[in-house]
Amino acid sequence: MVGSLAGGYAMIGRLGRSFNQAAGELAYASGLLFAVLKESLLFFRRRQVGFRVFILQILFTAVEALPIIAFISLALGALIIVQGNSILPRFGQGKLLYTLLIIVITRELGPLLTAFIIIARSGTAIATELGNMVISHEIEAYVAVGINPIAYLVVPRFLGVTVSVVLLTLYFNFFGLFGSFLLTQFVQRIPFNEYLVNLLAALAPADILSSLVKSVVFGVIISFVAVYQGFRVKVSSTEVPQIAIKAVGQGFVLCILADAVITLIYYL
Amino acid sequence: MAEPLLELKGVVLASRGAGQSQDYMVLDRASAIFGKGASSVIMGPSGCGKSTLLKVAAGILLPDSGEVLLEGRPLQRLSEARLLEWRRSTGFMFQDAALWANKTIFENLALPLQFHHPSLPAVEVRRRVRASLERGGLEASEDLRPAQLSMGEAKIASFLRAIILEPELLFLDEPTPSIDHAALEKMMAMIREMKQRGCTIISVTHDAHLASMLANDLVVLKQGRVLAAADLATIRRSRDREVMEILSQVLSDAAAYDTDLLDLLGG
Repeated sequence: MVGSLAGGYAMIGRLGRSFNQAAGELAYASGLLFAVLKESLLFFRRRQVGFRVFILQILFTAVEALPIIAFISLALGALIIVQGNSILPRFGQGKLLYTLLIIVITRELGPLLTAFIIIARSGTAIATELGNMVISHEIEAYVAVGINPIAYLVVPRFLGVTVSVVLLTLYFNFFGLFGSFLLTQFVQRIPFNEYLVNLLAALAPADILSSLVKSVVFGVIISFVAVYQGFRVKVSSTEVPQIAIKAVGQGFVLCILADAVITLIYYL
Repeated sequence: MAEPLLELKGVVLASRGAGQSQDYMVLDRASAIFGKGASSVIMGPSGCGKSTLLKVAAGILLPDSGEVLLEGRPLQRLSEARLLEWRRSTGFMFQDAALWANKTIFENLALPLQFHHPSLPAVEVRRRVRASLERGGLEASEDLRPAQLSMGEAKIASFLRAIILEPELLFLDEPTPSIDHAALEKMMAMIREMKQRGCTIISVTHDAHLASMLANDLVVLKQGRVLAAADLATIRRSRDREVMEILSQVLSDAAAYDTDLLDLLGG
């Protein structure tokens, strides 16, 4: 009896500690997000050396990811066209191909796959870079010089990744919708005029808006999660791969959740 | 004692390492006053919280409780502009150099200048950085990354970065270990010069030579507690047994417990 009571108290204690820890982390994340958003608003108004970091971040995140994004979007677009053109006309629904292309590439998989690629490439890179900087006291060195690490290190990465995800999503759409058309010409010939007219007929401004909103939200999620995890490193280099894995896991989960919420709003 | 510039009042700081479930006390109600234009040396056994005390005094780490006062005003409540102005007039040399790994040595020294003096022409930035690197004997290393330097060279670069803005308040965290004799002489000459022109210097060191050259005031720490914080004459008069014991441990194994270590400090 006494043993089970003690066990119960211990469990309540553990729950309490877990709750406290979760509440503390949530408070820290909220504070960090507020600071990042505040400094982001001031970023372009301030004359500061962080602008170069912003440009470099776009270079690393957007420009260097162009080949992989092009490859995936071409492959996905081509697959939809080939499969759709083979199956849909059999049911007299050939024109659904264009709706399908817009739904899959523009509204759903374009932003989401772009986000996944950026999580794997830049999310991990940012988290590990910041984590290593914490361990080697480089963040403290910025503070000592008077440079706000949020303004100089975080905001350029936050804005750079967000801008990059938006640009790469547009690029994914372009390659997925038009590049794949060219690719399919080797397999199945579709007149370009017919393709273009049908595609534009299926495309609504809300599709483009949905794609853009998702890309902005995903960019914010990816960069913030990476930064948050990077700053969670405390003293040991063994923490760095752990936070990189967490940055990827949390990034994926939060992007999928955000995708579901935005899609639900779209259909309301 | 000189007019107070920086004051620590009952500073408490707890920390938790990776994988540890409980906090441990790094600084325990630590209080000390650092006079304007004076040179203070912080001493104590390894792991007693000296570097942490220095970082709290420099406003790099925030205490859990207690206050850091700059000319009587709490550091945490300074306006952004005043804090930036203060940062412009301070320099901090890190124990492990803490150079920015993704920048060249030139860029490491140039960044504080570019940040605090954005209107400074690139030619002038280059001139000042090169002059500084030449003084430290690192002119051949300007295009190297920190990882390509030896620890001694990295520490010199960290020192040069700390003084590139010609600070009025200089924090030095174990500046001398790992540095070869010739480079050490150059660094000592630069520190001496800064002291002569009235720069306030607060240093953590185990180096008796540096301590004897620098110390006007002494702060003695043990397990996060400040045992003594006063000018040398006061500490010499008090002849506190615990303080003497720590100084004998810290300064040299050769120094016997009953040796007047403060005479050694006094040169």
